[in-house]
Amino acid sequence: MGEKLLNKSDIGKLINELGKEYSIYAATNDKQGNIIFDKIEKAEDILLDYLNSKIPPKSVLFPKVETLFEYEIKDDDIEITNPKDLYEKRIIFGIRPCDAYSFQLFENFFGYGQFKDELFKTKKENTILFGIGCNLPRQTCFCTSVEGHPHKKDDVDVFLVDLGDKYLVESISEKGKNIVQKLSWLSNTTEADIQKAKELSKLAEESMSTKIDIKKVIKIFQENFDNPIWDDISMSCIGCGSCTLLCPTCHCFDVIDENDPMSKKGRRIRLWDTCQSSIYTLETSGHNPRPNKVQRFRNRILHKFCYYPTNYDLIGCVGCGRCINICPVNNDLRNIFNSILKIEKKEEVKVV
Amino acid sequence: MSNPYIPLLTTVKSIVSENKVNDIKTIELKFKKEEDYKSFNYIPGQFAEISLIGKGECPIGIASSPTEEGSIKFTIKKMGEVTSGFHKCGIGDIVGVRGPCGNGWPMEEIKGKNIVVIGGGFAFSTLRSLILYVLDEKYRSDYKDVTVIYGNRDSSEVLYREILEEWEKRDDIKIVLTIDREEEGWTREVGFVAAIVKKVAPSPDNAVAVVCGPPIMIKTAVAELVNLGWKDEQILNSLEMRMKCGIGKCGRCNIGNKFVCVDGPVFSLAELKKLPNEY
Repeated sequence: MGEKLLNKSDIGKLINELGKEYSIYAATNDKQGNIIFDKIEKAEDILLDYLNSKIPPKSVLFPKVETLFEYEIKDDDIEITNPKDLYEKRIIFGIRPCDAYSFQLFENFFGYGQFKDELFKTKKENTILFGIGCNLPRQTCFCTSVEGHPHKKDDVDVFLVDLGDKYLVESISEKGKNIVQKLSWLSNTTEADIQKAKELSKLAEESMSTKIDIKKVIKIFQENFDNPIWDDISMSCIGCGSCTLLCPTCHCFDVIDENDPMSKKGRRIRLWDTCQSSIYTLETSGHNPRPNKVQRFRNRILHKFCYYPTNYDLIGCVGCGRCINICPVNNDLRNIFNSILKIEKKEEVKVV
Repeated sequence: MSNPYIPLLTTVKSIVSENKVNDIKTIELKFKKEEDYKSFNYIPGQFAEISLIGKGECPIGIASSPTEEGSIKFTIKKMGEVTSGFHKCGIGDIVGVRGPCGNGWPMEEIKGKNIVVIGGGFAFSTLRSLILYVLDEKYRSDYKDVTVIYGNRDSSEVLYREILEEWEKRDDIKIVLTIDREEEGWTREVGFVAAIVKKVAPSPDNAVAVVCGPPIMIKTAVAELVNLGWKDEQILNSLEMRMKCGIGKCGRCNIGNKFVCVDGPVFSLAELKKLPNEY
């Protein structure tokens, strides 16, 4: 199965055709002008030359507020039903490789152990990912340092490369092949198109300004839980939690019941939560295992770069740079890496 | 699709007030469907996420023993929104149950050993489950002597009085009750749990200690055991942590790379020493 070409002027046609069977989710502007992933009504609303969305597309399959089940309280019984949108057939159009990889991490984590999060699994199974390569990574991007790549295709079903006036369309998975085959009107590629895509991939990789030896960072993190450096690197943090809420791999949630006493109907929902908040771990007794900011700050970093690699042999970060962009006090993850890497250097000096 | 967040439905079968100030109640639940009860296979030390639909859900240790057939019990202290809701429950009210969750006491691994049970306050619930299980005629020969050290603030806080009296009639279990301060009419021990552990001085030979209580009690009682020559592997603690999902997904009950809800709540002291001190 070879690659195909899609003229940019045919995006509308493509979306109309796919939209007959699937709900299309893509990057678009919300009312405040932020780039988010949302259900698309018309193709003109789709942004494809965006650098990265403010809110990651995890919001499509793991929304900020998600129904776990619905209930109706009756005289001597309670009727409980599954959420309604689980089997919605979705296409996430134009997802970036880093965000597509975050879905792999979600699938791994939510599918791990005796109890599986069937809600996420079911939604993901019914979703097709149309990825798009990043030709111009942002200055804050560092996917190549965390085993990613601006043109990584592994985690999507169909992969697009922006060639200027057209897209190279490559089907990656079986799901992707089936859907591309139906688009018989896509035109054929030339060797020059394929060559150009390869060049763009290489240029994108070379333009990544951050290069971190992540294996070394992970090793140092694993050995330095009690290092006083945590006090220094967490000093400026104000605990706002923006980094966790906009992180494509953060999966923590709170659970509450939303009740309508008049109709006796309601739903149990989960909401994005943040480990940066002190009430996140506050027990009813008043005891708090992570009462201080430095502990909560360390938990966020170590969860991604120590606990996740220890448990699943995967890095819990995709290098999207959102936490760097959003941090109101410029507490830059790359600086944290650099500080951490100096720990070992000092020790080496000592040895000499 | 089996939705892991949907609870099984039970109804309240009985309610027992456990203390004088009436802020601790044991609620007995009967599953609405027989097949749900049959699927709910638990061991002592496990917990469940129990909920009042429309109010919310919370993790509570299972106080009943699997040998008490036909229902399950939870001892609940009135603390917040959901637990206060449970205190308002009447017979026949519907309660949601998800679980059993967590690893529980390692009933297989501790076979053939003397068991020293150390508990404080209303955390005694999963220890009640364990003792009933060990004393049940079906399993009694699997375990050796049982010593129980159970401490409370004052005599009115002692839970499960009827069952304690029954245990005291037996010659295969030693019960040591203690309260924090002298009280008129109290003929048992007086002092904190750690001090009584020191006084009773249980032998570590072929033994395992199961410890459950407030963090400060666990810390001090465990220190006494270590002084008495107990090894880290012989000391088992049941930990508490704030939880929402109970199935290792919502994130908040982690200690380092472990989740208390699925990897615990029971950890040996040896296991805890490998984890960050964030519990």
